[in-house]
Amino acid sequence: MKVLIDLTVNGEAYQIEVEPQTTLLEFLRNQLHLTGTKEGCGLGDCGTCIVLVEGKPVNSCLMLAVDAKRRGVITIEGLEANGQLHPLQQSFLEKGAVQCGFCTPAMILSAKSLLDKNPRASEMEIKEALSGVLCRCGSYKKIIAAVLATAGGKEERNEI
Amino acid sequence: MKRLKPFAYFEPATLAEASKILVGQGSGSYLLAGGTDLLVRMKRGEIRPSALINLKRIDGLSRIEPKVEKSLQIGALTTISALEQSSFVQSAYPVLAETAGLLGSLSIRNLATLGGNIARASPASDMAPALMVLRTRVSVDGPEGKREFPLESIFAGPGRTTLKVGEVITSFFVPKMAAHSGAAYLRLGRREGMDCALVGVAVLLNLSAKSGDVQEARIALASVAPVPIRARKAEEELLSGALTEERIQKVATAAAFDSLPVSDMRASSSYRKEMLKVLTFRAIEQARDLAEGGNNR
Repeated sequence: MKVLIDLTVNGEAYQIEVEPQTTLLEFLRNQLHLTGTKEGCGLGDCGTCIVLVEGKPVNSCLMLAVDAKRRGVITIEGLEANGQLHPLQQSFLEKGAVQCGFCTPAMILSAKSLLDKNPRASEMEIKEALSGVLCRCGSYKKIIAAVLATAGGKEERNEI
Repeated sequence: MKRLKPFAYFEPATLAEASKILVGQGSGSYLLAGGTDLLVRMKRGEIRPSALINLKRIDGLSRIEPKVEKSLQIGALTTISALEQSSFVQSAYPVLAETAGLLGSLSIRNLATLGGNIARASPASDMAPALMVLRTRVSVDGPEGKREFPLESIFAGPGRTTLKVGEVITSFFVPKMAAHSGAAYLRLGRREGMDCALVGVAVLLNLSAKSGDVQEARIALASVAPVPIRARKAEEELLSGALTEERIQKVATAAAFDSLPVSDMRASSSYRKEMLKVLTFRAIEQARDLAEGGNNR
């Protein structure tokens, strides 16, 4: 039994059939071939599968694709505009914040959600916003520095 | 990938329809709210639902509505992050907003719902004790109509509620916090975030404006009994005289008597009891300070 859903992903409208047991993560990767979104634990603990739904970060491994009906989804593939990387992506490159890269999409999307609401977020606010994503390489320092630079703050600008 | 096994899927547009499907599909059917607990248990193979009934197409279940005299109605599908971020909740029931902020990660809180958290009937629910000390009442709708009852009577056992077949939680009603009252929820985990409570203690105190005596006291506990419970002996002790340090210590000891913690991989029963005393002591002090502050905090 398939369910017809309409949604937008990275600004593009889709009308597509999904099996009810398909998670948003599986839908994005297997049906839309947007493989930038990663599966880590698959159980909501690691945050690697985070995408933005209506601008808010959610674990796409714990959301059914049918629940994305009539909603707007943003994945890491949707951040580049007119051949230009998003400022956060650029900053991650410049600060060397990408080590193995597996958590990077979730880190960048979580940061984007914060900075869209609060463009001058503090280091504490950034840490709080990224706290749902695990980085197994332990690159947190550079990741936070990259987001802080995008927020117009200096490294070690304030409290640790 | 961790895949979900197939299930029959329903998207009812009304509560009556949801209730009918729930009855028709029988015991293998589950309601889907936020899914952050349900889908995890399905992926782990702990449950194998034959049908999921998604409640999100039903209108009006996700509102946070201030009601008369600063009371509050919270729709069952309200997300934990909506509760955490609501400016009304932050100002009128700070303990609720703060407790909501303790759950999981932000991306989990954006999915998880208050109704789901309560319907799961986890002994470790952080929301339950905070709601219980605030005298929260729960509204349900089902084949035999609507009913409303105190939140604590919804818990039947670990993972089990007193809801009848076909009943759906629709909303929570939180009465106004009285003047000169304060409430706090403290939780101990092995780490600060992304962990479930080893011990959770919520305390509400209402102090007399004149004497400063305790007029009303409510204490509710998480993770130290098969379900979230009120600490009745501790409440009585709290009401029995002036709020001295000695009294608070006695209350903390009474709370440990009220509890019935298990030993499991997270902590031993005796450790939980000891920590329960510490947290109860601190939560009473915090609630007292907030009540004396006079700003409902």
